[in-house]
Amino acid sequence: MNRTLTPSPESFAQDPWKARIDRVFARALVLPLLLALGLLALLLGDTLYRSVSVQVVRADMGPGHTYPFGLSAEAILRQELLAQGYTEEEADFMLQDPKERSALFLQNRVELMWNTHEGPFRYVVTNVYDKRVADFSLAEGLRRWNELKANLQEGERLVLNPWLDQTFLTRPPSRSPLTAGIGVAVWGTVWVLSLALLLAIPVGVGTAILLEEYLREGRLSRLLEVNLRNLAGVPSIVYGLLGLALFVRGMGLGPSVLAAALTLGLLGIPVIVVTAREALRAVPESMRLAAFALGATRRQVVFRVVVPAALPGMVTGVILSAARLIGEAAPLLLVGAAAYVPFAPTGPLSQYTVIPVQIYLWISQNQPEFARVAAAGILVMLLLLSVLYLLALYLRNRFRREW
Amino acid sequence: MEILKQKPSRHPLEVLTFLLLLLLSCVTLLTTLGVILSLLGDVVEFFRRVPLREFLFAPEWTPLFANPRYGIAPLVLGTFLVTAIALLVAIPLGLSLAVYISEYLTPGRRARILGVLELFGGIPTVVFGYFALLFVTPLLQKVIPGLSLFNPLSAGLVMGFAILPYVSNVAADAMQSVPRSIREAAYALGARPYEVALKVVFPAALSGIIAAIILAASRAIGETMIVAIAAGQRPALTLDPRETIATMTSYIVQAATGDQPVGSTAYYALFAVGFTLFLLTLLLNILAQWVVERYRERYE
Repeated sequence: MNRTLTPSPESFAQDPWKARIDRVFARALVLPLLLALGLLALLLGDTLYRSVSVQVVRADMGPGHTYPFGLSAEAILRQELLAQGYTEEEADFMLQDPKERSALFLQNRVELMWNTHEGPFRYVVTNVYDKRVADFSLAEGLRRWNELKANLQEGERLVLNPWLDQTFLTRPPSRSPLTAGIGVAVWGTVWVLSLALLLAIPVGVGTAILLEEYLREGRLSRLLEVNLRNLAGVPSIVYGLLGLALFVRGMGLGPSVLAAALTLGLLGIPVIVVTAREALRAVPESMRLAAFALGATRRQVVFRVVVPAALPGMVTGVILSAARLIGEAAPLLLVGAAAYVPFAPTGPLSQYTVIPVQIYLWISQNQPEFARVAAAGILVMLLLLSVLYLLALYLRNRFRREW
Repeated sequence: MEILKQKPSRHPLEVLTFLLLLLLSCVTLLTTLGVILSLLGDVVEFFRRVPLREFLFAPEWTPLFANPRYGIAPLVLGTFLVTAIALLVAIPLGLSLAVYISEYLTPGRRARILGVLELFGGIPTVVFGYFALLFVTPLLQKVIPGLSLFNPLSAGLVMGFAILPYVSNVAADAMQSVPRSIREAAYALGARPYEVALKVVFPAALSGIIAAIILAASRAIGETMIVAIAAGQRPALTLDPRETIATMTSYIVQAATGDQPVGSTAYYALFAVGFTLFLLTLLLNILAQWVVERYRERYE
């Protein structure tokens, strides 16, 4: 009688099958998120786990061996102790006491620095003498801890080695995993990043201001926008080739901090433009209108009203862009970061390496223990990044304004 | 407002500011020019030494051997293999994530989850490479016999997760821009939430979703560190995901970290590979923009 050809909306909504599909669908959709978060947790956990290992270490002082400058291991340790502020008697006492002595040698991170006429000379004492008899993963090492401890030979010691310790942050790279540190790479990153931002911030913010505040829709603005969109899509390694051809070879900068900074700066520009434009767009039109109505010129409106209002957003954007640039390894591999550099850069033309490249170099080493050094390096980099993210988050919330 | 931008001032300070900004923004144009010119010079030199036919059709890429061959095919095939595996992971996960973010979350939670994904995308790819080589590969080796230490499978799987945020964020953006009225019309017709999401919003946002996938593919092609670490550096003309391969990017890294005398053909080959990579990603980006422009559903 009254039946329509299509079922009524009510019958759709009450179809039990559809209701079931709906429920299953809604739950299943959470899966990808959980999967991604699970992977993230695995990644972090795995890295943390790998950065600690159980080791059997033998301190072998190698009697009769002399270090450069004709110094014995003992003399070096003595100098180190004196440099640390111990008096002569205390130092002699520590070196005479056999227990202290082996502990000193086992600390395996005694470093010395001399000022020679060729610049600072760094020597790592235990580079040669500390021998790892074995390196175990945390689980295996702890499980067999007692067994290992019982089987220790004369002069050997069982240690829990957290690869990420205080000295790891300051030590230079080394050919031995035990003494390799990330200090030089950290300074390289600081140098390269700050110079890169010096290039990228003015250009990025200037372009954003031009596009948002000055240009009408037209040929120039379209050209700039299309160009920026395409630049953002260019793989970072292609910027590395640009840097190699233009800065390293063309301008003759060689594999230097400056060449790397220019390369990284160009890479950062599109990102900074995007974030700066967003910040400018968030400033309401009414503020510009009010300023114009008060008789301000465009320059005054832009630089005294709009830019100050957009500043927190811009700073957040710059920090996030900096965080992205810190992790970039590929382009810098091409402009000289892959070299073995024992010293922190001293100027824009020094050699350098950066944190992610140093990590890559460690990963590609053959010795399995370098994987542990790499894990420690990754932790340092992730910590640095999370500090930056938290800073950006704090600034975003602290200065957020509802217009 | 466009109307405010109409009257340029003649005051010297105003003109100077404008010119300064113009000068700064020219750097972005010069960058593009620099990329093209710096690559092109060396690419021309490369093709003066190696015929184009050899580059396109030779079955081997061995510029460092005594008897060098310069066929790009193995590198391109390796790149596509890794990219395909990555997309197999990233498309289903990323799109369902996008539906979830756009259609099933309150705005507050949406912002938070987008923030988490942003963090995910901010992890340096060296870290993903490390994870692929030292965690995923040993795990897969237990399941798949004959899997080499360096293989495109684990590199691709992990890269799928690395590009996941690109897919999900761009696709979620596209879905968000579908007007609310259309969803409400669907609900008024008695549609269930899943029907609204799959049969109404998804098709309406299709151009943006396809663009998201193309952009993610372009990312995957240009992604360097994961493949350089986990997929290996031995060019091979194979589609077997268990074999060690090389991609365009991993070859560039390999050649760059080794000693390449400037002026050798192998050195110029670096730029030929880079230029191919540049053209490929540029084409994909232009394609993505074209899809968005051409197939965008316009409302109102």
